[in-house]
Amino acid sequence: MAVIAMGLSILFRIQLAWPDKSFPILETFLGKWAEGGRIKPDFYLALVTIHGTIMVFFVLTAGLSGTFSNLLIPLQLGVRDMASPFMNMLSYWMFFLACIIMMSSFFIETGPASAGWTVYPPLSALPKAIPGSGLGMTLWLASMFIFVASQLMGGINYVSTVLNMRTKGMDLWKMPLTIWAFFLTAILGILSFPVLVAGVVLLIFDRSFGTSFYLSDIVMGTQVLPNEGGSPILWQHLFWFLGHPEVYIVIMPALGISSEVISVNSRKPIFGYHAMVYSLIGITILSFIVWGHHMFVTGMNPLLGGVFMITTLIIAVPSAVKTFNYLATLWRGNIRFTPAMLCAIGMVSFFISGGLTGIFLGNASLDINLHDTYFVVAHFHLVMGSAAIFGMLAGVYHWYPKMFGRMMNAKLGYLHFWVTFICAYLVFFPLHFLGLDGVPRRYYAFTEFEFMQKWVTVNIFVTWSAIVAALAQVAFLFNFFYSIFRGKKAVQNPWESNTLEWTTPVEHLHGNWPGEIPTVYRWPYDYSKPGAEEDFIPQTVPYSQTMSSNMPHDFEGNAESERIQREWDAKNAPDKADVHFH
Amino acid sequence: MVHTLKQEDLKQEADPSLKARKFVLWLFVVSSTIMFGGFTSYYIVFAASKGKGHGLVLPDVFMYSTAVLVLSSVCLFLGAKAVRKQNIQQQKMFLWAAVVLGLGFGYLQVDAWSALFQSGAALVNNNAAISIIYIVSGMHLLHIFGGLGIIGNSLWGAYTNVSHEKAVYRIEIASIFWHFIDILWIYLYVFLLLNS
Repeated sequence: MAVIAMGLSILFRIQLAWPDKSFPILETFLGKWAEGGRIKPDFYLALVTIHGTIMVFFVLTAGLSGTFSNLLIPLQLGVRDMASPFMNMLSYWMFFLACIIMMSSFFIETGPASAGWTVYPPLSALPKAIPGSGLGMTLWLASMFIFVASQLMGGINYVSTVLNMRTKGMDLWKMPLTIWAFFLTAILGILSFPVLVAGVVLLIFDRSFGTSFYLSDIVMGTQVLPNEGGSPILWQHLFWFLGHPEVYIVIMPALGISSEVISVNSRKPIFGYHAMVYSLIGITILSFIVWGHHMFVTGMNPLLGGVFMITTLIIAVPSAVKTFNYLATLWRGNIRFTPAMLCAIGMVSFFISGGLTGIFLGNASLDINLHDTYFVVAHFHLVMGSAAIFGMLAGVYHWYPKMFGRMMNAKLGYLHFWVTFICAYLVFFPLHFLGLDGVPRRYYAFTEFEFMQKWVTVNIFVTWSAIVAALAQVAFLFNFFYSIFRGKKAVQNPWESNTLEWTTPVEHLHGNWPGEIPTVYRWPYDYSKPGAEEDFIPQTVPYSQTMSSNMPHDFEGNAESERIQREWDAKNAPDKADVHFH
Repeated sequence: MVHTLKQEDLKQEADPSLKARKFVLWLFVVSSTIMFGGFTSYYIVFAASKGKGHGLVLPDVFMYSTAVLVLSSVCLFLGAKAVRKQNIQQQKMFLWAAVVLGLGFGYLQVDAWSALFQSGAALVNNNAAISIIYIVSGMHLLHIFGGLGIIGNSLWGAYTNVSHEKAVYRIEIASIFWHFIDILWIYLYVFLLLNS
């Protein structure tokens, strides 16, 4: 799906860069949607809509929390299988069905939905409004309905598994940050997706049964529609009540994966583990009370706008806490620049550069200028698009040996990372300036307007960068599929990591562990502990085996353990006993 | 290489998945509550911005259907008691009563719709506050059908002599869900009564 969505974006980038040129090859593939080799305006709208929908929901939501939660929750918590494997399977196949329905809209007469990924009514509510409002929109709604059902089943399963099925010794504060992130993401999904369902149900009734939940005072051509009394703003409320938590559903798993990858490859404990967890919780709670910042220009009461502005800016606090913790973890670490590590650092980079522009957009008064311009496009493509994708890539590179028992080629990984990283900035950074100049998003050929004509050269540059970035993904895809069969065989714990998934055998077996499930004795970030023999101590090693490196706080106030440790220190390491226990 | 786990390995660990699966249902209850929260907050925001609610006197049938649903919940409660006492005969009786009352509730809801329709308050309406009465009661009715399926599962267990442990698990699942949709309906009904 990611590849398809990327292909769509290349198509519309071509249109933006060369609005007058004709590409006969497009007609070969797209038929009447690109007559004479030029993409039609209607189809352009369909392209941006489906690109957005697929990327946000099908790639970043399902690809990050869907795949990695299913992989890592059982493996990192010491569980044989999820709480309800049957529901998990159902969730998977429903996701597959949703994909098929979404893609099938490319093969119908009127084309896919075209009202933008937020499908605002009335465009989405009146089947005759534009070609894409017809059957394409119906398919979109059906697909999303199934998708939400799939997400809910998945999410409910994750939460239940995390809360009920952890192995012996694995209390919540010994969970890796990846699991914390997946857990809170799943909670967010459970609490926000049902609201989208409510909104979609009302939208379906408006479309197909003639109710007026979102419709009022509409004249189509010369015909006055009977619908009255509804309000499209109400859809926006319901949509963004999901829509904003949704962006955190996208980014939090990426944050969790990066925490793990950065800590492992810096050979240092993650800086501020508790602060990381609390900031994730903070983001989770705050994300429910910020949705109004998408609606500053809908005629919202300025006082209410002020409230949403304040809550929005407060979210910068936990986000900044996380960012500084990443940087502090990297600081003077013994860094191993694996491809996964590079991607995780890239993720932090995009999170910073995209997050900063969020502060501009979160201001109700600045947003009047910037709303619906390319500034917004630049902002979210950096902070949730690129950052989340790099988090996902970090996860793939890091856990590939666990998934397929083989290693990916590191050299191709470096090539892929650097080209993608540089090109992503080249694509999205210039868009800020378009936005500041007032260039509106979603326009088919805005460079035809005189005051925006000057941007055509920038458009060409951006499009070329996008094409290069797309080509770089070939390196990744080749690496991914080639390594499944021909990659170097992986050892059991290739990154010398502490977490439980690396205690399972390289070959897969049903139930994950042969014999008993390992017991957990310590937190997952004991890297480079002073006094330890190696620079990592897996979670399964009890403190009794690491007498030389134990710290007073390891025992959490257990007097008996402290006494034993003191006696040992007095006998074997008199200096240490002086430092820590007196 | 995939090889299966030995049975002895599995037996060493108590099966935590029953508890986890019951928890799954609680989470479903939460998300379903949120969905109805979405509908009712649509109503609140709509009514506040337009300065009007549905403005109807709800048909009396809704009152009868509420009573029937509460009665059905009581039957299910007695049925669950019978399961714990391993009294299969009573279990069958009370569960059948619950199912029949549940179906009766469904019938009365449809009856209420036709009463609404005849009084001129149709689904397709320029007052969305009226349309949403149909939506919430309709979505609730879908939950009722789901709940009947779950009770049916427990009832099926009574005829096929499943183990006591399993029977208790099934009736617990049914109870959580059925009492939830009972309370949910009371919430919706009171909400609609208060916000006319």
